[in-house]
Amino acid sequence: MTKEIFIFIASVLLLMPILSVFGEISFSTQFLFCAPFIFMIGIPHGAIDNVLHGRDAPHQKQYFILVYLLIIGFNVILWMSFPLLAYVLFLGISAYHFGQSQFSHYFKRQKLIHQFSYLLWGVSILSALILFNLSEIHSWMNDYPEFALFSPIHQLNSLVLTFGISSILTFGSLFWLLHNRAFTVSSFFMECLIFLLILAAFYLTPLIIGFTLYFIILHSFKVLGEEFRFLRAEKEVSSVLSFLKLLAPFSLLSFLGLGLVFALIYFNLLIIPYGYALLIIISSITLPHVFVMDHFYKLLFRNNFYQQKEKG
Amino acid sequence: MNLLDVLIIPKDDAVAFTFFTGYMAMLAAAIFFFFERSRVDDKWKTSLLVSGLITFIAAVHYYYMRDYYVATGENPTSLRYIDWTLTVPLMCVEFYLLTKAAGAKLSLLWKLIIASVWMLVAGYIGEAFNPEGGDSTHSVLWGFISTLGYLYILYTAWFGEVAQLAAASDNEVVKRGVRILAWFVLVGWAIYPIGYMCMPGGWLNTAFGWGSENVDLFYNIADAINKIGFGLVVYNIAITSSKKVQTA
Repeated sequence: MTKEIFIFIASVLLLMPILSVFGEISFSTQFLFCAPFIFMIGIPHGAIDNVLHGRDAPHQKQYFILVYLLIIGFNVILWMSFPLLAYVLFLGISAYHFGQSQFSHYFKRQKLIHQFSYLLWGVSILSALILFNLSEIHSWMNDYPEFALFSPIHQLNSLVLTFGISSILTFGSLFWLLHNRAFTVSSFFMECLIFLLILAAFYLTPLIIGFTLYFIILHSFKVLGEEFRFLRAEKEVSSVLSFLKLLAPFSLLSFLGLGLVFALIYFNLLIIPYGYALLIIISSITLPHVFVMDHFYKLLFRNNFYQQKEKG
Repeated sequence: MNLLDVLIIPKDDAVAFTFFTGYMAMLAAAIFFFFERSRVDDKWKTSLLVSGLITFIAAVHYYYMRDYYVATGENPTSLRYIDWTLTVPLMCVEFYLLTKAAGAKLSLLWKLIIASVWMLVAGYIGEAFNPEGGDSTHSVLWGFISTLGYLYILYTAWFGEVAQLAAASDNEVVKRGVRILAWFVLVGWAIYPIGYMCMPGGWLNTAFGWGSENVDLFYNIADAINKIGFGLVVYNIAITSSKKVQTA
């Protein structure tokens, strides 16, 4: 068990009964409690994409920024033109990214079957998140016509099917990885336990709170830890403080960008709901981040990062 | 005739069934640990004695609890917590005994005992003093306080002193054994809160309508897994380690 998993278990155990006392919690209240964690931990975990990519291709900084911005631009245009497709793409790449960060440390190199496992695991937990909070999602769809566009994705039958098939295949892939000794027996049981705990958290807590618990503790903390250890090994940072300084510029830039969009909405210069704007922004920073992280994990495999960590 | 009346187990009463099987299983386990004690190396005898005591104390309590339950149909809360107040600290003693050779100090034992008593006292207040019909705030508050004790023990077993001492130990059997016991704390001990939350006003009771009859069902299953399973892990460490010493 890692410390992130311990914190996740502790948070779920302590939070779930408390939440039950409060009864139904509105979207805005959930967001009020979760936003500080998402902004202070979630956004920074993707704020050094330029640094991570720069470790592998130090002479391509300008090219990297150009491609990064082009991907963001492409995504915004996709949201404006084909929102349903943009939403599916967002869920798909997020699923892959979540699975990759969950399993990468078990492998010595990335094979196609591993990538398939990443996707299955991610699809399973994201479909569970939507399925278990469907009534909450339907109420948004009723309140905001923009969200109603996603109704084909939010059909009960298709969600049950997606969740069922992806969960069975996820357990199948975990067994396969155990059989091929990518996992120890202990790791296998731990992964099964985490998977079930995530599902329990999604089922038992409101949408935003459940997702924040997973996203911050199990995903962002883990990725931040890997980024820190890698950059320390590369002598890019020497301490937590210097790592935080490295995270600061693009985190602040993201906050400013977010503030600017919200200000435009507030002054009626941009006519879309805040939640919908947030979804587009998050998906736009997620898309290039997922490519960078895929590259980053390949770099870790090439550098035998996880094996060195075990020896250390 | 009275005795026959008391011993009737309704066919569909899983709680009564688990009380009876729990009693026999605990007693059998206690006899097994006491007898096997003579087969292990001297340094493991106390560990096996403690394993035997845990299951024996539980067997005695189960003997009374099964009759209490069959006669009244009520949860034997007081007897349950008396049993746990004795046996759970003894499980903490097992952790101490296993890591003693690697340098565990008496302070570790006391910290674990205090955490386990904290967990049990808070759980007892939450359960025994739950107002008639159930009160969610009462249940959640004391459940929350009790969970803090559990989390302390969980942390100690996986990352804290126990884990560090086991890692520093040169005995691979002890390392593996402590890791398995830590799993028991993580998974096995986590069954108890499920039972706790089934009581009137408990979270599973209010949110999903799980009845208070499930309290004892979950507790009995958890006790069987944790007390007997815990003892068997200690037995396995003791017997494997003793065999290694004999063959060396």
